[in-house]
Amino acid sequence: MPLFAFGATNSSLTALEPLFTFLTTSLTIAEGAFNKIPGSAVVLRYVKSSHQNDPGRTILELILVIFAIRTLLQSRTREDRNGNNFIQFTPKEVDELVDEWTPDSLAQPLTPSEQADLAAVPILAGPTGPKPKLINGKQVTNLASLNFTGLAGNEHIKQQAVETLRRYGLGSCGPPGFYGTVDVHMALERDIADFLGTEEAILYSQGFSTISSVIPAYSKRGDIIVADRGVNFAIQKGIQISRSTVRWYDHNDLKSLEQVLEGIEKERKKRKQPLTRRFIITEGIFERDGAMVDLPKLVEIKMKYKYRLILDESYSFGTVGRTGRGLTEVYNVLASKVDMIIGSTAIGLCSSGGFCAGSHIVIEHQRINGPSFVFSASMPPLLAVSASEGIKLLLSKSDMLEKLRVNIYEARQILDKFDLVTIPSHPDSPIIHIYLRAPNDCPTSSSFLHPFSSSSNTKPSNPTSALPRDASTWTWDIEEEEHLLQEIVEEAQSQGVMITKAKQLRGQENVEPRPSIRLAMTSALPPADTRAAVNTVKAAVTKILKRRK
Amino acid sequence: MTTAASYLSALSQADARARSRADSPTSTPALSLSSSVTSSSEDTTLNEVDRENSDGLSLPPRPPTSEQVFTTVHTEFGHCANEEYRSTSRHPPGTAVPRTVEQEPPYYVLFFTYISYLILLTFGHTRDFVGKHFNKSRYNHLMPNDGYAPLNSDFDSFYTRRFKFRIDQCFSQPVTGVAGRTIVLLDRYSPDFNHTQLLTGGRTRGLNISSYNYLGFAQARGGCADAVEESINRYGISTCGARLEGGTTDLHILGEALVAKFVGKEDAVISSMGFATNSTFIPALVGKGCLVISDELNHASIRFGVRLSGAQVRMFKHNDMKALENLLREVISQGQPKTHRPWKKILVIVEGLYSMEGTMADLPALVELRKKYKFYLFIDEAHSIGALGPHGRGVVDYFGIDPSSVDVLMGTFTKSFGAAGGYIAGSKTLIDHLRVHGHSGAHAESMTPPVLTQVIASMASIMGIALPSKLSGSELETRHPGPVSPKLLPQWINLPPALASGQEGNDRLRRLAFNSRYLHNGLRKLGFITYGHSASPIVPLLLFNPGKMCIFHRMMRDRQTPIVVVVVAYPATSLVTSRVRFCISAAHTKEDVDCVLRACDELGDLLDLKHGISQSERWTIEEITKRAVELSHM
Repeated sequence: MPLFAFGATNSSLTALEPLFTFLTTSLTIAEGAFNKIPGSAVVLRYVKSSHQNDPGRTILELILVIFAIRTLLQSRTREDRNGNNFIQFTPKEVDELVDEWTPDSLAQPLTPSEQADLAAVPILAGPTGPKPKLINGKQVTNLASLNFTGLAGNEHIKQQAVETLRRYGLGSCGPPGFYGTVDVHMALERDIADFLGTEEAILYSQGFSTISSVIPAYSKRGDIIVADRGVNFAIQKGIQISRSTVRWYDHNDLKSLEQVLEGIEKERKKRKQPLTRRFIITEGIFERDGAMVDLPKLVEIKMKYKYRLILDESYSFGTVGRTGRGLTEVYNVLASKVDMIIGSTAIGLCSSGGFCAGSHIVIEHQRINGPSFVFSASMPPLLAVSASEGIKLLLSKSDMLEKLRVNIYEARQILDKFDLVTIPSHPDSPIIHIYLRAPNDCPTSSSFLHPFSSSSNTKPSNPTSALPRDASTWTWDIEEEEHLLQEIVEEAQSQGVMITKAKQLRGQENVEPRPSIRLAMTSALPPADTRAAVNTVKAAVTKILKRRK
Repeated sequence: MTTAASYLSALSQADARARSRADSPTSTPALSLSSSVTSSSEDTTLNEVDRENSDGLSLPPRPPTSEQVFTTVHTEFGHCANEEYRSTSRHPPGTAVPRTVEQEPPYYVLFFTYISYLILLTFGHTRDFVGKHFNKSRYNHLMPNDGYAPLNSDFDSFYTRRFKFRIDQCFSQPVTGVAGRTIVLLDRYSPDFNHTQLLTGGRTRGLNISSYNYLGFAQARGGCADAVEESINRYGISTCGARLEGGTTDLHILGEALVAKFVGKEDAVISSMGFATNSTFIPALVGKGCLVISDELNHASIRFGVRLSGAQVRMFKHNDMKALENLLREVISQGQPKTHRPWKKILVIVEGLYSMEGTMADLPALVELRKKYKFYLFIDEAHSIGALGPHGRGVVDYFGIDPSSVDVLMGTFTKSFGAAGGYIAGSKTLIDHLRVHGHSGAHAESMTPPVLTQVIASMASIMGIALPSKLSGSELETRHPGPVSPKLLPQWINLPPALASGQEGNDRLRRLAFNSRYLHNGLRKLGFITYGHSASPIVPLLLFNPGKMCIFHRMMRDRQTPIVVVVVAYPATSLVTSRVRFCISAAHTKEDVDCVLRACDELGDLLDLKHGISQSERWTIEEITKRAVELSHM
């Protein structure tokens, strides 16, 4: 058997003889050719030295090379194609699946209550102002429009706007980077910076899109944002798009802010994380309830913990302070202490657009990195001129703000004593939010206490969640209250006072805000008219609530 | 080469002159109001420079004959009476949509482009390294400082600091006056390598082929501007509030109805900013469990909106319908990742006309795919509305497709209408949904009356206003695109007859179509590589080398007739395909296009930019200007 085997091998060897010679010769030729390639010696030396008589090392190298090639060749959508989740279908099966698939309709029809709300939105026939005319021909007193200092319809501004129109046309026809920077934009930026006392300012063409563009310009993935739980929708969207790490503190509660900051610092030290950009984001006067932040304390905290402060002054710029410079003027804080002041020329100056004011470095950065600055056409020149004129008027006619303060005072005199509602707004706030007093609210509870601000002796809320700890104890029924408030709005309108609910995007907010009516005070109304209008609102609330009970 | 050298020395001399001039303010008033000196019926924005007409921009080359009446100011909207220089923007029916082929430059061009970037990269890193060690004070803002992390990490800002910064004089040039056919630049110089830009006080009027002014409605004079003035007197500047919170006026209602009529949809909603139209309404269209399929070159505002919506996103290769179909088959059959649940809905978002490429969406193919795969189609007509189609109704009109085969039509007013803001048009249900659930309705300021009026007036003059006598009830309401019923316009708007009849609007559309095709085909025949569709008013001319951007920009501006151009590079384009982007307008005359072509021809030889068709196929510049009409039909 062994002999046979050997013989067989031997014979097969002889049979394979030509093959071996062929292999040897071709190997020699290949070697010769390989040696002729420039640099082949280097490769050979490398292979030899890495081999070092250890096949394991060579195999390891080979695996590495294969892995590198595989990584290079993989398509970018590999996780979808090669993942365990990917199911192979035949084209026929795909066709069937395509046929079977029925998408939802693109948009759900509005619910009856949404439809009714939309139909009830007041439409002005003609210009806005303290006493505009509605499309049904009725003249109303206006406590809805954001015409705080009465700049709407100002003849001087109108005249300046027409002159600008005749020099510049209407549109700017280009983004700021490509010939959309008109000299009047630069002038307005200068005017705002000088007005607030910052180094520079940058102009955006819509107030709402300003802060949602400013936040992601600086704050990226891995950076830390500490924000108030009651911030407005635009800030929420800015935070969302920045993809930064967010921590929330209780609404307008600076103690809670400090606790959150302590917590973050502790965690950072524990995990030995590197220093990242850190921001505190809050509003000067909150859009949602008119509460006002304690700026000196806030600046002190920010300095202590070394955070940068992004302050949204959309509702405080042009409305509070002796000349309307906003919170920095109210509290006499240097504007340079606030890293970024965001304001709205649409709200504060009755024009259009928004701005961010800060130091040179801060502003320059946005000129390249602010998405809605870079990718949008700059605002029409005549609107920029209107805003500049607005600032000039604020500076020269401080009685506008004085009148506004008187009107706010008059309105609060009435509303604070009215026991069917609670007012969360700050006494100086030009927007006054009205909550219906819930049945089980203690009638004597402090009327300034906002429902978000939890009492200080309970356990703090979880900073990673936008919902405060006491959210479960909120008693109001959103739908019911929205409905009641809408009836009040319509009742007031039929009595000749145009007011509005604070419109919210239900289902899209981080925390569902409590339904409220938002009154916007204006210096264009004489105090007597303001009193009369607010009394009408009061009567409407009483009437509707009575009908309910 | 001697010309280049002498040019460069002339540049430095000009620089020196500009610096010396900086101290002495010019005596010319900004835009002094003066009485008419030319044949134009009314023009008040002329200053002394214009009267000289040394740049050939202020006066038409030929004085008008006695029967020619021009109602526009030549510097805003050029006088061109030759009916031959007109064309129609329409896809020839029955023909296939041309595939866009991107021509490749010779390898040496690509090689030197990469080398340029390599040099910049090496220099940049070396300077950063040395600077951070030896000149700390200037790098403070890039390093942790006093317990604050840098606002701007040196890695993130590297490109900006070390690449863009060197050619900053090409960007953000301040201007004044109307961004019409010509534009007035405020001269500036930098004493410290672009760290600061100082205005010299001088002004340069240049031929403007940069602004998005496709139909030439950027005008300070004329029927539209008169209407805007009237609206300011009637409505004031602002409506002081969001649409749902008391900021709605009757003008908004009229404007939305008019836009819906214009694009051929049931209803429309208007937003006060173009960027915000996408970024605040897309989140109301899609959400979790939905899929957005987006062209890879879609605008930043679309990406912004989609990111906010929480929907999944997949991208497909630019304008590649095959890739789109493959992707659709994959995503529909696979369903949502992990769970394999079917998608709630799929929204395909494309742009009608891409602002950096000049390419058009392949709409016929998309509409076919839409039928088969049941996705919803969203077309961003930011650039194409007004600029394309025989009736100016955008890419839908260009291909002769029924607007009902597109679910969502979005567009802006910044470009063709000389206004600002944007719209979304669709079914009544959809638009009502957006009014309530879009972010703008509740929170963003509403569009201001002057802007709305500009939109209404310019749109009505494109459509033409039907004479009340010819109104025959329902027939008019259904016809699209037809003249607009006067009932849809505010009663106080009183357009001059040329605008109201729609004749001037039609003329503008045809002038734009001619100019676009002439410029595009002319550049190609000169031997340049251009991208995009020849009907597109956006004409990108490829420069490749980053250094050429700056010199091209500069040399165009410093010509006898200054030409103002936009140069774009990474990140708006891919790294190697730096380009100059022309935006042609109906306001340009044929002579203006000649002027641009002639300038490009000279610079193309000087800067070695002609890498397109072969030498033998090229035409000379004289031949091109002579055979312009023939070119426009190619």
